[in-house]
Amino acid sequence: MKYLACIGLLLLFASCRKDKTTFQANPYALEIPGHFPDMIIPSDNPMTQEGVELGRWLFYEKRLSGNDSMSCASCHMPSHSFSDPHQFSTGIDGIQGNRQSMALINLGWDQFYFWDGRAASLEKQILGPVPNPIEMHQSWPDAVYKLTLDLDYRNRFFRAFGEPGIDSIKVSKAIAQFIRTMISANSKYDVMYKYENGFSLTSQEQGVLQSVDAEEWAGYDLFKSLNGADCFHCHNGPLMRVKKYSNNGLDATFTDKGRGAITHNPEDDGKFKVPTLRNIALTAPYMHDGRFATLDQVIDHYSSGVHGSSTIDPLIEYASQGGVQLTTEEKYLLKKFLLTLTDYSFTTNTKFKDPH
Amino acid sequence: MRWILFSMILALSILSCGKDKPVPVKNYIQLELQPTFGALPFYMDSIYTSPQGYKVKFTELKCYFSLLGNGTTSLQQACLFDYRETGSLLLKQEADYSKFASLQFKLGVDSSLNHLDPSAFPNDSPLNISNAGPMHWGWNPGYIFMNLEGKVDTLIDGLTNPDLSFSFHIGTDAYLQALTFSGLNWQDVGANTRRCKLKIDLEAFLANPAQSIDLKNEHLTHTAAGQEALTAKVIQNFKAAISLY
Repeated sequence: MKYLACIGLLLLFASCRKDKTTFQANPYALEIPGHFPDMIIPSDNPMTQEGVELGRWLFYEKRLSGNDSMSCASCHMPSHSFSDPHQFSTGIDGIQGNRQSMALINLGWDQFYFWDGRAASLEKQILGPVPNPIEMHQSWPDAVYKLTLDLDYRNRFFRAFGEPGIDSIKVSKAIAQFIRTMISANSKYDVMYKYENGFSLTSQEQGVLQSVDAEEWAGYDLFKSLNGADCFHCHNGPLMRVKKYSNNGLDATFTDKGRGAITHNPEDDGKFKVPTLRNIALTAPYMHDGRFATLDQVIDHYSSGVHGSSTIDPLIEYASQGGVQLTTEEKYLLKKFLLTLTDYSFTTNTKFKDPH
Repeated sequence: MRWILFSMILALSILSCGKDKPVPVKNYIQLELQPTFGALPFYMDSIYTSPQGYKVKFTELKCYFSLLGNGTTSLQQACLFDYRETGSLLLKQEADYSKFASLQFKLGVDSSLNHLDPSAFPNDSPLNISNAGPMHWGWNPGYIFMNLEGKVDTLIDGLTNPDLSFSFHIGTDAYLQALTFSGLNWQDVGANTRRCKLKIDLEAFLANPAQSIDLKNEHLTHTAAGQEALTAKVIQNFKAAISLY
């Protein structure tokens, strides 16, 4: 009987225990363009409205850097299609890296990140720049501590992840959610692609289609032609890139081994991730080291500046001749087409703006 | 009280003695394509000697197979062979091996699939554009059926210094090839899995007695106009080089 009383008392205490506070975040409905493939969302980081909004705040949060001067957006500027107009980005200590900041466009479809592909997920990529001494140069515990001092952030993290607490994993997950919403699919090229492949066009798209001139179509033909500019082997489809690393003939010998520095396979030396060409007019300078300041220089490279090497991409068919040997008129037409890849609705989208 | 406890224990023990429902056994088949270079084992980026005496290395070896089945029972819509990325595995799926004493399939993507929206295939389909990657040219030409790339040293001087790239990209409906294999040997490899291996002999591909390929002079086709002769030779040799392991 005495035991029964004790058990009853214990049950009473247990029932008085304060309930754990939780919050159920609201699912975020990604709008995938009809001519794009599905985006694979990691099962451990589902998209939520609260997570995406938190990610936007964090993307522009300068307290993630050691001296509160830099955010992700410092090197990924909206006006430049979330890239850096400088050849090399400068970190908080005035140190420059040796790679150009990549544009953040449609990254939700990528499977590897950084020019050398050393990050296998967006979440892992985001963990890199904060502690990097030549970038934001702040330990994650320090960055998290600063955020924890802010009541608004404590609440935002709670709503995004349904539990109290902030850590680097949650920061990377939230920013990854935000970046997955950064979809660019509203360029003139998108209408050309849809028209070419029999998609039904809206009346607004019909209007865009009418505005595509003969030179732009001719440039597109050159872009796809094996005997023309032959760009499409590495840049095609709605994403305007293929999933691979390539040595595109920039150098005969390599000061930066690129993918080879990660795999330690000499066959990968001088190879870098093939970037998208979307918004290419807004993302100068070009190449992994930002060596080309203009699109004209890029076109000149593929036309007559290609250097052979042991790992050059076999798809650079005319490497032995220095390139595809475009005429002045062909270069002009090709550039006309490249400009159709610009999507201003992406760079001016208020959902991607600084909320601070 | 004692009787109540006794009754509960009895009831529980009777329940725990309930006969378990038999769990149906799932059987799997695994199809592989093993590259070789003649009698030599094949490795990407390794140096081999072509029939003409050139040193050659292969940097890409990919192809699509489609409409796999035994003529009446379908096995899979399509699979992508990408030796660098996924090794020799073509497919592994739940199926009864005894139904597949023979196997029919297309080398390439059948025209019924070749011109569909590559973004509309399921995420796990090898035909989805995210999985096809550079193996998709565009809606009109469709998929690259086979992709063989590498380097060749055209100077027979005792030094290995590959100086010439070769690139064979074969596609478009006209070059689709049909293959049939009979008398398949499905080996029991455990875990309810039966495995059948095919092989692709890249030396035989180059040294086809009816039409050999000289990489020094025949190193490029992307199935473009003017490349028809080499395109046909490449896809026919590739088909002929595939056999039961």
